[in-house]
Amino acid sequence: MNTKQRTIKMLPLLVGLVVALIVPLIVGKNQYNMVLVTTVLFYGVLATAWNIIGGMAGQLDLAAWAYLGLGAFTSGTLLLRWNVTPWLGMILGGLVAAGFAALVGYPLFRFGVKEVWYALSSAALVEVLRVAFLMWDEVGGPVERYLPFHRASWYHMRFASYVPYYYIVLGLLLIALFVNYRISRSKLGYYLLALGESEDAAEVIGVDARACKLKALMIYAFIVGATGAVYACLFGFIHPSFFNTAQSTEVAILGIIGGMGIVYGPLLAAIILVSGREFMRANLGSSLESLYLAIYAVVLIVIALFRPQGIAPLFRKAYDWLLSRVVGERYAA
Amino acid sequence: MPPEPILQISGLTKRFGNLIAVNDVSVRLEPGTIVGLIGPNGAGKTTLFNAITGLHTPDAGRVLFKGTDITGMLSHKICKLGMSRTFQVVKAFSILTVEDTVRVGAYNRHGEKEIQAKVDEVIAFCELEDFRRQKCGDLSLALLRRVELARAVATEPELLLLDEAGAGLTGTELDGLMAILTRLNREKGVTLCVVEHVMKMVMGLCQRIVVLDAGEVIAEGTPAEISDNPKVIEAYLGKRAVR
Repeated sequence: MNTKQRTIKMLPLLVGLVVALIVPLIVGKNQYNMVLVTTVLFYGVLATAWNIIGGMAGQLDLAAWAYLGLGAFTSGTLLLRWNVTPWLGMILGGLVAAGFAALVGYPLFRFGVKEVWYALSSAALVEVLRVAFLMWDEVGGPVERYLPFHRASWYHMRFASYVPYYYIVLGLLLIALFVNYRISRSKLGYYLLALGESEDAAEVIGVDARACKLKALMIYAFIVGATGAVYACLFGFIHPSFFNTAQSTEVAILGIIGGMGIVYGPLLAAIILVSGREFMRANLGSSLESLYLAIYAVVLIVIALFRPQGIAPLFRKAYDWLLSRVVGERYAA
Repeated sequence: MPPEPILQISGLTKRFGNLIAVNDVSVRLEPGTIVGLIGPNGAGKTTLFNAITGLHTPDAGRVLFKGTDITGMLSHKICKLGMSRTFQVVKAFSILTVEDTVRVGAYNRHGEKEIQAKVDEVIAFCELEDFRRQKCGDLSLALLRRVELARAVATEPELLLLDEAGAGLTGTELDGLMAILTRLNREKGVTLCVVEHVMKMVMGLCQRIVVLDAGEVIAEGTPAEISDNPKVIEAYLGKRAVR
């Protein structure tokens, strides 16, 4: 591949990045709009991380918010009790989530829990943690624990405006995309795709399926846990309701609709579906509050029927077509 | 003294509930040979393969590979030791391209630096050049079987178990496959054990044949000996067919 082709292939990423960087300059005056775009990116991070365990390794994980909650509680509690900066809390929250993932994942993979049973076990995990944190008075409990308020403190990661959070989440998104890309080009990535298709076939050609799945689960949990630390700062409190089954399922839905195993697919799905959802919430919220769920369901069914590979390949085709129109066939990606 | 066997199975038994799929089977494979494993449907051939390659844990008996006890070992460890296999019902990595499928196998013995060279070599060896960028999900059965062979070859096995690699292939496709297998055996010195129903392949390829029926070994010998063996004829065609 020559430099020109590579540039053309990277072009959408660069354009996307530039657009993402200047979005706050356009909508930054209106804080509500800033929450919306931050939420979209936030789901983008979760779905991109999910792609590692769900898209590549083919494990239908429904526990995103379990790891997110663990990260949020780790970082939040450290900040509240010992005034530890959430920047360190992010790392520690990620580590706690990854460690917990190892504790849960090891027996699950050791005893061959897969497919629908894996999905159910992971969904149950979210609920178990919610109840556990509700009863754990020292850290959780039924009352929200508010993080200290600061108008603008980088040390506490607390800001009166949503703009800094937007950039922090954007940073996380870039890291998640980069990690995804690197894995997809490595031995682990190929192993995950192979075992996601057939574990037996992968095993007999040398793939340690258990170890690979555990690695994938831990990397995913780390990214989601670190994101959880930012989530707590963004909304300014920690509460056991962070362990949310419905929103965990939503992360998986974004990953599936985006295109299983395709690095940028889940992000595309998040941009389209989450902004659609928030738009509907804002405009139909009073009359048809849950309509977005019905629309999600319809989109999911349509995708399952007509586009089982997800929407990412569609975008690729559209981009190729556009390129061939603009610069000629030769440089099409 | 005969050379040390590459694979020695002794007293292997595998039960599924009340069904004894493999019953006290003992087989010896000499290095560098091509051995056929035949028998009517339900004779326990695939179960035997599964028990050897670690997909099933045997209920009794031992499997020695190059002198190492691999009974109940995990499949990927057995593969590292030098044994791989293909499947009767093709288990393709549908979303991967042919090249990437072979790459998964090649990672068994190669790091990122040499991997591309190994992939190219195996693709050339298995005559898959024309299809390397195609997704496995888009390939025909004959090609899928070839890709399964290629990804197993890429792991650089010393012993390769082929579970009905010839099933469902046309005459020409079968000739192509047999040519690749012969080269694999002669040039790379890979020991082959083939489960097969296609007699053209068994008789044309194998130096020795082991016959299984109802989970037990009923005969063993050269192709000529086997085709005259009354027990084998009885197993395949029933009592009255024996002259």
